Amino acid sequence: MSIPKHVLVPLGLATAASVALAGCVSGGGSDAGGTVTYWGAFYAPATEEAFQEIFVDGFNAEHDAQVTMEVKELTTLGQLTDTAVAAGEAPDIVYADGPSAASDFARADRTVDLDEYAQEYGWQDAFLPWAYELSQVDGAVRSVPASYGSMVLYYNAEVFEEHGWTPPTTLEEFEQVAQEADEAGMVPLGGGNAGYQGMSEWLITAVLNAAVGPEKIHDVLTGEAKFTDPEFVAAIELVESWIDKGWLAGGAESYFTTDDTANVTGLANGTTAMYLSGTWSFNSLTEVFEDPEQWAWAPLPSLSDDVEPGVFPLAIGTALSVSAEAEDPDAAAAFLDYVAGDVDRALEYTARTGENPPPLQIDADQFPDEVDERTVDLYSQIPDSTNVGYATWTFFPPKTDSYLITEFDKVVTGDSTAEEYLAGMQDTFDKEFDAGTTLVPFTPQSEG
Amino acid sequence: MTTETATTGASLAGAPVRRGPRPALRGRPLGARRQRRLLAWVFVAPLLVVNLLVVTGPGLASVYYSFTDWNGLGTPHFVGLSNYGEMLGSDAVGSALVHNILWTLFFLVVPMTMGLVGAFLLSRLRRRQTFFRVLYFVPYVLATVVSAAVWRQLLDPDGGVGAALATLGLPFLEGLGEVNFLGNPSLALGSVAFVNTWQWWGFLLVIFLASMQSVDPALYEAVRLDGAGPVREFWHITLPMIRPTLVFLGLMTIIWSFLVFDYVYVLTQGGPAGSTDVLSTVLYREAFQNQRHGYASAIAMLLSVISALTVLGYLALRRRLRWDV
Repeated sequence: MSIPKHVLVPLGLATAASVALAGCVSGGGSDAGGTVTYWGAFYAPATEEAFQEIFVDGFNAEHDAQVTMEVKELTTLGQLTDTAVAAGEAPDIVYADGPSAASDFARADRTVDLDEYAQEYGWQDAFLPWAYELSQVDGAVRSVPASYGSMVLYYNAEVFEEHGWTPPTTLEEFEQVAQEADEAGMVPLGGGNAGYQGMSEWLITAVLNAAVGPEKIHDVLTGEAKFTDPEFVAAIELVESWIDKGWLAGGAESYFTTDDTANVTGLANGTTAMYLSGTWSFNSLTEVFEDPEQWAWAPLPSLSDDVEPGVFPLAIGTALSVSAEAEDPDAAAAFLDYVAGDVDRALEYTARTGENPPPLQIDADQFPDEVDERTVDLYSQIPDSTNVGYATWTFFPPKTDSYLITEFDKVVTGDSTAEEYLAGMQDTFDKEFDAGTTLVPFTPQSEG
Repeated sequence: MTTETATTGASLAGAPVRRGPRPALRGRPLGARRQRRLLAWVFVAPLLVVNLLVVTGPGLASVYYSFTDWNGLGTPHFVGLSNYGEMLGSDAVGSALVHNILWTLFFLVVPMTMGLVGAFLLSRLRRRQTFFRVLYFVPYVLATVVSAAVWRQLLDPDGGVGAALATLGLPFLEGLGEVNFLGNPSLALGSVAFVNTWQWWGFLLVIFLASMQSVDPALYEAVRLDGAGPVREFWHITLPMIRPTLVFLGLMTIIWSFLVFDYVYVLTQGGPAGSTDVLSTVLYREAFQNQRHGYASAIAMLLSVISALTVLGYLALRRRLRWDV
């Protein structure tokens, strides 16, 4: 059978073109004007439902522009977004797991300048000053903080009462409780990095803020001090001593096979005495404890004579930006304000889901009655505190933060000394500092 | 036929035929041979386009990015060979490469031997062969993440198999309750390899078995008449006859061992302290945690070179030893 040339050639070209175009068309660009695309990821179906109703459906009912939400896996949202942004296929609202990651998008011009919208919606007055400051890159607002929290010390109130312990406020008290817990056959301090290596920085954030102090961390982040200074070395050596005694996670080997769920479960069943974790754990504690009233939090104890007890390392868990590819950036910015800029709406979401609220100026009496009193307590204390510090994932530049996590393994196994670990951290930080990719941290309030 | 013989240079009788210009097709609208070629291109074109878009294009892009400081977002800047220089001096890459080599040796020996021996034993079964074939193959069809998650629980020092065996009261098992297979840097790589073997060896067994079943039974009968037992049958008949399969799976084992990622990432993420890091987990960390896509591309180039050298070595061996695979 012969096929005429005039049929064959166009057929081949059309086939090749159709395959090539298929790849282009499926990516698509932004939706048609008047729509905003958003990728959400949630801890539980009920959380997703609350977000949909309060924010998405609420916005769509009040605005001409319509938001469409696509739900992604919580654990992969960050990476999916990174890939989509790099490919120019990001949703209109760009997720980042903190202002540091959001600043990378801004510096690559993948997100828009939000200064105009910040003025329109009054974000400078709405957000807590440190959070608003962190949302800026080179003096321009480039993201909006959608949730914030801190590191605290969790414990089981019933277990503490049973042993006659009170939440420690000093290193001496902390080690006293740890010693007695160890003797009682408990794991004195929960910890580990199984399943999520980043858990190590929760511990390091807590220890650095409580043992070195916010002022010294600020000095390092602004280039006026070094990670290799004796205060930092002493802080990491303190952790080493906990590992050597088997206090942290029950020992070095267990550290690598213990995950967050195991720690929370350990608190609930009384096999773990204390756990240094973030305020995002409120949800899981309530879920795991048979009697949810029994989990409790306390501010971090002081781990050296130079630091006041009760430091709150501040952390922004989610920073949202508007994609440079967004077809309707005005509508996207309006949605950002709808999600993060309104106190009542944000607290309604917190009341329904237990999720951390945005860093807005919130008075204690604005919290609805449905909000857990432990949450109200925390978010009432933080704005009034002058003892606030820096979470590493929010204030440390990305490569330093990554080094801090991955190389800490060697401290745990004893393959690296505190000095070696911190020297490497300083080298990594120096490169980022010289490149101008570090964020400007707020001035510690005790100084200012 | 005349055209064919002129092109190939041999007549049906085997006498040489003068090579010369192709008989004039000029003036003919579209010869049957050209039509066939064009038709072949039409069918191949979609695959070529796909290959260009998802293999060749990104591959060439990786070569380019490996000479830059690209962070995945901004403009890449040319940095010459500095990524390669850093990679060659990196303890993390060196350690990961050693782990990849150990992994390769382990998988060339342990699962391959298990698959070969298992297939040979199964081939001698007259009944229930299908049952065992399915039984051993089932782990291979399980999702990696699922089987890794199950094994993470099974290897847990508190509630896993070791802890359960330690409670049996047998003295030689008591120590198992203290062993942290994934948390001990000395045991972690071997433990991950064990879990991967659990999934992999059944696949090898099925492939080897299929290959063994294609061996001419007359060869076995002949060697039995010479008084050979099962071991000699295996050594002198089975192994030589399935050599193409054996060599091919060996080649693929080497390539796959250098690309291993899933079990390592799910079970240990390269830890503790890099003791299970392989090149692909270092690459992943550099690209997606440290945003060093340029440097990660250089590591990808190293992986590609290793795979290419493996294939070239295989081709050279095949030519030298006149293997028919």
